[in-house]
Amino acid sequence: MSRADGSSRPRHGLALFLPYLPLLLICFGPLAFALAKTSALERDMRIAVTENMLWVVTQTQKEVMALTLAAAAPDRQAEEIAQSFDLAVSRLTLLGQGPQQRYLAELGHADTLQQITTRILALDPEVQGHGPAQHAAIYEQGLALQSQFNRLANDVMMQEWEIAAERLDTYRSTQTTVIFAVAFAFLGAMGISWLFLRNKRRLNEAEIQRRRDSALLQEARDTSEMYRDFAAMVSHQMRTPLSLIDSAMHRLARRGDAVTASDVAERQGVVQDAVRRMTRLVETVLLVGKLDNRQVRGNLAPAALDALAQSALTEARGLHPGRDIRLSSTGSRIMALCDPLLVAHILENLLANALRYSPVETRVELRVFSQGGQVACAVTDQGPGIAPADQPHVFKRYFRGEAHRAEQGTGLGLALARELAELQGGRIGMDTWPGRGSVFTLWLPAASEGRP
Amino acid sequence: MRVNIFAAMAAISAASAAAGEAGEVLLTVTGRVAEAPVELTRADLEALPQRSLITATTVTDGRPEFEGFLMRDLLEHLGAEGDSVVALALNDYRAEIPVSDFEDYDVLGALTMDGAQLSPRDKGPVWIVYPRDDHRELQDIRYDMRWVWQLVSLHVK
Repeated sequence: MSRADGSSRPRHGLALFLPYLPLLLICFGPLAFALAKTSALERDMRIAVTENMLWVVTQTQKEVMALTLAAAAPDRQAEEIAQSFDLAVSRLTLLGQGPQQRYLAELGHADTLQQITTRILALDPEVQGHGPAQHAAIYEQGLALQSQFNRLANDVMMQEWEIAAERLDTYRSTQTTVIFAVAFAFLGAMGISWLFLRNKRRLNEAEIQRRRDSALLQEARDTSEMYRDFAAMVSHQMRTPLSLIDSAMHRLARRGDAVTASDVAERQGVVQDAVRRMTRLVETVLLVGKLDNRQVRGNLAPAALDALAQSALTEARGLHPGRDIRLSSTGSRIMALCDPLLVAHILENLLANALRYSPVETRVELRVFSQGGQVACAVTDQGPGIAPADQPHVFKRYFRGEAHRAEQGTGLGLALARELAELQGGRIGMDTWPGRGSVFTLWLPAASEGRP
Repeated sequence: MRVNIFAAMAAISAASAAAGEAGEVLLTVTGRVAEAPVELTRADLEALPQRSLITATTVTDGRPEFEGFLMRDLLEHLGAEGDSVVALALNDYRAEIPVSDFEDYDVLGALTMDGAQLSPRDKGPVWIVYPRDDHRELQDIRYDMRWVWQLVSLHVK
């Protein structure tokens, strides 16, 4: 139970990233794959000359036909026939080169091309010369070759359709693959987001739970501590008056019949005092209990703080005959908006506190004044003051100053005074000078006299 | 113009048996040049600064070495003023080429391939060759179609 957050120490670097690695792969892997596929498609779509094979073949056929017709024309010059021959040969040369040659070879037409070229070159006018016989031979050969060209063109066209169809298949499958890849990547991204969110939520929940736990723990500690202090205080506070009563009774019993009236009166005083002290203790404890259960509600009404101070003073003088207790007031009818019963209780506590912790021969003073929309009653003692180490704890329940642990006192007085003051929209101020004394001031909201 | 070209072709053809002859007209340039039409012989073309270029082509295997003149040198030499040229081939193939191509790239009017003169029976006498291997953007059908072979005439627009 000591350190619930020990296991959720923040992780760094790779460790934080590692759980997402498979998902990142799922996310980016398909995208990389889709990219590779589409770039392969792009390469495939680059048009090469072999894509125009049908055009190349028909151009060759056209040139051979032009040569055939030129050879047949009676008025055609030798130069024209020679040029036509060159053009036909250049087309055949193109077909016999690199990619074109391989394309035809794949179609099984490497021999066809070879035959055509051989037959044409056999009639080369540069070798055979020009003349009616030679030209007639070119014409005959040209006509004879047409059917071969037709078959060649036909097969090339078929092949191109085949290639186009295959390419369409490839495009379609690539498209499908890319769609799947993107969908996968999308799912991967969704997965990553979900994981991120879930982890974040878990961390948040863990943090909230941790805080709640620690708050509960603290509350439980505080409560148990408070009850322990309460029990210690009550037993301690009860023991003294009970032992006083006990010893008074014992003495009376020992005297037996020799008890005088003055003896009885003396013991009676002791017992009454002890009973009063216990009654007050019980009242205080009850009040604290009511406060804790939120059963105390201030019935706020305008009341004269100086009058309340006067009654507190009178009561204190009655309880502490021989103490010098004084009241000074800057005016009469200094009105506070408060619950008079609660104020009486506060002043009683402040006075009791001042009287208890100051030497018997010193003076305790009450001063009532108003200041800045507030009214106040300051209780000043000439006691030892409060040690700096104790000052922050003065208003805590059951807190007793280091120097006074052994003495009488509930440790509830100041805590109660503050809680009751706050209940009425007021507060308790403290000023203390170690070695010289302390001033505890009850501040309350001012009220005009006519106010309800 | 068609007739002119035909005449030029005839002229080439007449001398085709002796393709290397210096006096033979290989290329006719028309349009927006200083003194159109300009007829250029092999000697004229070889008088331009000669450059070589090794590149793959779409119709041959390997990476042949081409030698010839830079197209921009030719246009500059002729005082051509235009945005594009229409290249016409012996086989009537025609392609319009923006002049910016010649400014952006070292486009060659190749006269030889692997040391041998380009013949009209192959891609000669002149083949417009782009430095395809040096620029990725040139590996595209839109540039491939500007590789006019059997070039016989340029019309500057």
